[in-house]
Amino acid sequence: MDKFRRQFLAVSGLGLAAFGLPKVLLAQSQSPIRFGMVVPLTGATSQFGATMGRAAQLAAQEINAGGGILGRPIEVLLEDDQSNPEAAVRAARKLIDVDKVVAIGGSYASSVTSAIAPLCWQNKVVLATSSGADSITQLPHQGYIFRTSPTTTLQGTRLAEYAVELKCKSVFFMGPQTPFAQSYIDNITRIVSAAGAKMGGLIYEDKKANYRSEVDQALRAKPDMIILGGYVPDTAVVLKDLYRAGYDGRAMGLSFGVNQKLLEALTGGVGDGTYSLVPSASVDSLAYKRLIEKMKVPSLDTYSCQLYDHVNLFALAVAHAKGDASGTAIRDNIRKISQDKAGVIVDNATDGMKLLAEGKECNYDGASGPCEFAANGDVEGVFFRYEQIQKGKLVTVKVA
Amino acid sequence: MFTDIIQQAVNGLMLGSVVALPALGLTLIFSVLGSINFSVAAQMTAGAYAGWMVNTYLGWPLVPCLIAAFVIAAGIGVAGDRIALAPLRKKASASTPLMVAVVSIALNLALENVFRFSFGNGLNSYNFEIARDIRIGDIRLGPQQFRNMVIALVITAGLAAFFNFTRIGKAMRGVADNPDLARLKGISPANLSTMATAIGMGLAGIGGALLAIDTSVDPLTGSRLLLVIFAAAVVGGLGSLGGAVAGALLVGLASELSLLAIPPVYQSGIAFVAIMLVLTVRPSGLFSAKTRV
Repeated sequence: MDKFRRQFLAVSGLGLAAFGLPKVLLAQSQSPIRFGMVVPLTGATSQFGATMGRAAQLAAQEINAGGGILGRPIEVLLEDDQSNPEAAVRAARKLIDVDKVVAIGGSYASSVTSAIAPLCWQNKVVLATSSGADSITQLPHQGYIFRTSPTTTLQGTRLAEYAVELKCKSVFFMGPQTPFAQSYIDNITRIVSAAGAKMGGLIYEDKKANYRSEVDQALRAKPDMIILGGYVPDTAVVLKDLYRAGYDGRAMGLSFGVNQKLLEALTGGVGDGTYSLVPSASVDSLAYKRLIEKMKVPSLDTYSCQLYDHVNLFALAVAHAKGDASGTAIRDNIRKISQDKAGVIVDNATDGMKLLAEGKECNYDGASGPCEFAANGDVEGVFFRYEQIQKGKLVTVKVA
Repeated sequence: MFTDIIQQAVNGLMLGSVVALPALGLTLIFSVLGSINFSVAAQMTAGAYAGWMVNTYLGWPLVPCLIAAFVIAAGIGVAGDRIALAPLRKKASASTPLMVAVVSIALNLALENVFRFSFGNGLNSYNFEIARDIRIGDIRLGPQQFRNMVIALVITAGLAAFFNFTRIGKAMRGVADNPDLARLKGISPANLSTMATAIGMGLAGIGGALLAIDTSVDPLTGSRLLLVIFAAAVVGGLGSLGGAVAGALLVGLASELSLLAIPPVYQSGIAFVAIMLVLTVRPSGLFSAKTRV
């Protein structure tokens, strides 16, 4: 009996404490506004996951240090999508149902974004994505999707135009099965064929120990330009196998496959001369310079820059909506704070919020670019940086 | 066309030889302990990282890298087995092998994340020159991949000798055949199963290091090939060491030759088809011997 009493007291004491705690906390501050970030911390597309997460958290710290949104703090919740659509859906569900986030950012692999997009618009949650597949903004998303990465069509077009500019006569595409592989092939074919060059392509399986046979198949077409459509791990192996096969033509990829991470996987001059098209983080912008300084890195991939911008865009949109923290308010206000021609250009949310508080308009230009969106949610006015691997380093050839 | 077939066959053998060592490890462990240990994939990665550290931090050549890969993978393999799997095996029941297999998948994931935590998600490369292919007529042959094949075959031969001619090797076969009788004869199954795990996982580690020299190291280095490794072991019958190697080479051959007929993107299906065919036609595996090992 005595034991029972002790237990009862202990349990009821805990219960009372649990009741008491949140009240104490609430008294100190208002409840935070929550933004979710779905990022690839593990799996095949995880090369940038860690920096993407850090960039988003950094944006939140800056905003909170500047007084939050109209006095309310913000909270950025990271969830791992495991580079896997099914895990991403679980992560997004948790963010929406349990954490009650009003907007989700990040969302890197196109397969992941395609999977979580319907969840977002059905729950009236804004989704800002760094994916490229054309199909994403063709979904019936009622304006809830914003894309900060250039579309696959635009990327493919730029790749093909550059191949034509380099006077290539026979172009060959090699990439893994992704929601955008076919779109690359179609777009590149359209442009290089019009320029009178040959075009071929193959889609491979991305978990192989070597790509000798695929390389053989590609080399039969006698290409002088091979376009690499893969992520870092498979692109590294393909480049090594091209080197082994004695391929002496050119190669070209996009920044999710050909980047600093890839260089760490290559040795002895393999991959030298390979071009990379980088949706240009505005390298000259103050936001970018501030971001790399705070992250203590020499340079930063565009995707991490985009996540930094996602958080800032969400926060500014809520501020513009007079503190209405809802997905719909964010949807309706993002363009008002990111592309108002009359607005004062700002590179961080805190400065923007000061202007809004004074009754002025702001125009956010971020670390990844000007952050202006077409009616369907696609980003506009993207610059590309054309880089080339020279002696084991990425060198900028031109920006256009 | 004929050269294409030969070339794809050569590529297939090279692909298969990468898989051969971990498949050997899987088979060896299965034949002594009676359960599949899927954490071979993580041990491959462990070996790959161990070799990479020896190579990049100490600047040592291939052989020390492979020895380090063997030792580290064996150590982590035995530790993982002791902590996660041995307690399950103590409660012997009909479902024990399945439970051990499932827990070993969890162990594999846990280790994968340990590597991620320790080394990050990036790719790391060994400091070995990548050799250009040798041309024999119209056929291309990668010297490093050919070397991998030779190493795999030599190790198999060494293992075969170990099991046929040494006392401890014979004891292992004894345990595999009849644990109770072995115990009566004074052979300790626990020690021998530790040894089998150490050798099996060490082999996987060497396989991982060889693979990583060819490609690069990241936390998923081994896991990418888990399905193919498992297919190779099943095709080989999970009971004979030679079978594991033959199974690996066969699966490699089948998947590369299939490229002549099907688009490359369906290649991973070949491993499934191989498992399915073998289980329908010869459930005990193509190379299953009367006695295990």
